[in-house]
Amino acid sequence: MKEFELEPGEEVVLLARKHWLLFLSELLPYAIIAVLPFSLPKFLPLFSVSAPYAEFFTYTTPLARAALGVWLLITWTGCWGTFTKYFLNAWVLTSHRIVDIKQRRFFSREVSSLFLSRVQDVTTEVNGVLPSLLNMGDIKVQTAAEDVEFVMHGIPRPEQMRDIILKYVHEHEAPPTPQT
Amino acid sequence: MTSLPLQSFSPPEFLNTLLSNSVSMGAVVMGTLLFVFAFWALYTIVAIYHWLKYSHASAVAFPAIGIHLFISFGLIVYALSGTVII
Repeated sequence: MKEFELEPGEEVVLLARKHWLLFLSELLPYAIIAVLPFSLPKFLPLFSVSAPYAEFFTYTTPLARAALGVWLLITWTGCWGTFTKYFLNAWVLTSHRIVDIKQRRFFSREVSSLFLSRVQDVTTEVNGVLPSLLNMGDIKVQTAAEDVEFVMHGIPRPEQMRDIILKYVHEHEAPPTPQT
Repeated sequence: MTSLPLQSFSPPEFLNTLLSNSVSMGAVVMGTLLFVFAFWALYTIVAIYHWLKYSHASAVAFPAIGIHLFISFGLIVYALSGTVII
């Protein structure tokens, strides 16, 4: 890990990212944009006004091929940028803390750590039919300070992750002082 | 109001004259392609920098970069496959 150094005895337990369906939903606009030039030759002849232009979209001329190549190159690069952003956003649970890595855009990165000894409450939220079926939701980790809250949206199996976090939180809790 | 028959769109005459007199179509296409490829190269370099620096030593980084370069070069070759450069 380059963003943070593991302490002696600390180990990475879990690395979580957003659910793959959310990633695919971010790719949907690019898929529509990519399909557009291939669907135009079928739609343009339907209207008399646009019919003369249908021939251009058969991509037989050098200019049309160049336009299609550039169109697809820009679309593909956008897709890859989305995947890069998806992959570089992560939650890392170690045996001592939770690390939230946020890659908002290129050259804009935030890495914050929350030590498990400070965790007061872990809440999961699964709202909606699709999230329930696919078992994805949000996790909120609340600390003693009311304003500090770690939230991760749309992660897979939130209950399982909550249980793992709580397991390590309990390991960090001080043993109860004996009553006299 | 008189009704006119529908006509397909055509660019204004002065635009055609301007383009044919000063700049060739091939030069415009070449300039556009160069701009797009330069943007692609810059974007790819920045993204690769982020992959290599922040990918948590993941095995996904190099395949992701390789696939991107492979597909991109395929598309660039396709875009240049015609005799666009006049």
